[in-house]
Amino acid sequence: METFSYSKSQEFFSRAARVIPGGIYGHYSPAPLIPATHYPFYTARAEGARFWDVDGNEFIDYMCAFGPMIQGYQNSVVDHAAREQLKSGNLTTGASAVMVELAEYLTGLVSFADWAYFAKNGADVTNYATMIARDATGRKKIVMIQSGYHGAAPWMQVPGHHGLIEEDYYHIIRINWNDIEALEHAISENPNEIAGFIATPYHVPVFRDNEMPADGYWQKVEAICRQEGIVLIVDDIRHGFRLDMSGSNEYFGFKPDLLCLGKALANGYPISALLGTDALKNMAARVFYTGSFFFEAVPMAACLVNLRGLEEIQGPQIMQTQGKKLTDAMVDIARGYGFTLKVTGVPSMPYVRITDDESMMLHQDWCAECTRRGAYFTPHHNWFLSTAHTVQDIDQTLEIVDEAFQAVKKKWEDEKKFPFEKP
Amino acid sequence: MKDDIIKAHLNLTAVLQNLEDLVQFDDDMAALTKPWDTSLQFTVLRGPKAFVEFKDGACRVRQGSHSNPSVKLFFFSPAHLNRMFAGNGTPIPLKGLTKLRFLTKAFSKLTNKLEYYLTPTDDRLKVTKYLELNTRFTLNTAVFAVKELVRLDPIAKTVASHIGNGRVLIKIMPDGPSIHLDFQNGDVLVKKGDTDRPMACIFMQDVRVANDFLYGKLDAFAAVAAGNVLIRGQTPMIDSISLILDRVPLYLK
Repeated sequence: METFSYSKSQEFFSRAARVIPGGIYGHYSPAPLIPATHYPFYTARAEGARFWDVDGNEFIDYMCAFGPMIQGYQNSVVDHAAREQLKSGNLTTGASAVMVELAEYLTGLVSFADWAYFAKNGADVTNYATMIARDATGRKKIVMIQSGYHGAAPWMQVPGHHGLIEEDYYHIIRINWNDIEALEHAISENPNEIAGFIATPYHVPVFRDNEMPADGYWQKVEAICRQEGIVLIVDDIRHGFRLDMSGSNEYFGFKPDLLCLGKALANGYPISALLGTDALKNMAARVFYTGSFFFEAVPMAACLVNLRGLEEIQGPQIMQTQGKKLTDAMVDIARGYGFTLKVTGVPSMPYVRITDDESMMLHQDWCAECTRRGAYFTPHHNWFLSTAHTVQDIDQTLEIVDEAFQAVKKKWEDEKKFPFEKP
Repeated sequence: MKDDIIKAHLNLTAVLQNLEDLVQFDDDMAALTKPWDTSLQFTVLRGPKAFVEFKDGACRVRQGSHSNPSVKLFFFSPAHLNRMFAGNGTPIPLKGLTKLRFLTKAFSKLTNKLEYYLTPTDDRLKVTKYLELNTRFTLNTAVFAVKELVRLDPIAKTVASHIGNGRVLIKIMPDGPSIHLDFQNGDVLVKKGDTDRPMACIFMQDVRVANDFLYGKLDAFAAVAAGNVLIRGQTPMIDSISLILDRVPLYLK
């Protein structure tokens, strides 16, 4: 199998580095791709579950643009809906009718929700959710999970990072995932001060195995929040529609007060949403929160068609099935080469890790070897399946996985003698 | 005041330890110190202590007290010590008054040379030997400073508390210098040289890349993407070290 080279990606990058901070910033930064030189940086085009980089290399994509592409690139139905809406108008003076239709649809789809609010990015609505919680309770503090990610606003970031001041996280209490005692302790240490509890449906820290909720965890959290008057916020931005069409809370059998959605809502069109209960509707109305592009109609039209389509084909089940087929086979292939591949999270968004090397260098090498053969695997973030991943895509991926294990086994044996790869 | 204490610790550890390499890698300083058999104790009131020992052509810098130093230099405050390191202060000699000439002449030659290597200019960096030594000293100063900041700087302490156990190697390719940090339960040890089985590595392509990287002339993210700087392993450890390294200039210019 041919391995890829990336001369044009590097050329673009070197131009970019002169005029764009970091060359490519944020979660698209190549820095966590190890070694970055084994990865493409720039996409020329994409279709279905595949993309082609500027060097002409073809990849089966297991990041799906970090989640949004849930029905595949250039999905004809979703894109048609977007184009049709564009003909009528996108961002206009006055809200669009499709916004009403979408809100009605979402409040029907997600059983606990009585209202919907639309924004652009996930952090827009996680931030808005905490403001509503504070307004509703008259309290200041927010409890979140250690290593939880809810966006890039200062309060959401890890203390010590650049651009933060202590006051940004003065009212943030971080507790460990699945730790009910810690939640109870936080409440007893801060009586009548906690406005909200925010967490993802299951824990998805980078660089660590994903962790499902312990039996009864969410039910206990829900009960505590009700008892203590704490607003329960679920950040379903990453998980949304890959576990359950009705919200990932349904998958785990509980009801939040606020549900944050984003990423997969509109198959790549920019929109996020906050759904909430009737009890919080007036607070949501009076907390001033808006943005220049929050009322774009094209993403709303795309969202409506995308979700209806996913509902019709039972999208989450398709992705779970394909993901399980992929990851089960990968585990078997790894075992054949003497490696242990651990899969955590759900199969539609698995976190995969070779456990034989604590430093993760072996795992990084394997992901890089897969990528330079055409299966785009990031080493330290959960992957994403889409409904566009076909049996053929999975089968071809498994061939790549097999060959990458061959390459890495040989290299790893050599590296035990020479552990440092020279740049 | 708090900053003065931290800065004094950095001066007496991160900066002063460079004398060891200066004596080893600069021919003139090696010749100068070869006959020396002496030790200097630095003591700061309500602050750090360290000593420098010259023997058999080698220099040894350690924190704490020497058992029988030839010269004792006293500083009545961390700020007093920092002023001396900035070239604006004079220590109070408590022992070894007969060696004042040594201090003002020979030892000053050594410290002046170290200052020369730690104050790069574009012209100086054009000289290969200067570039190599400036890079070596800067790397070591920065990494030894991490060790101190983890103990003394509240934000660095918070960041370090999340770093897992294991060694992180920083190496300039192809043949060094290298240095590694060994994290154990929030504490850190620093040693010059390579280490086996690191949990994370930073490899800098060459000394020029390393120098630009260390002085912030290089966009670190871009350097990693381009392959000029290679990171491997538990990169969250590297991210955390990077956050602490970025705090060094708050205390050392």
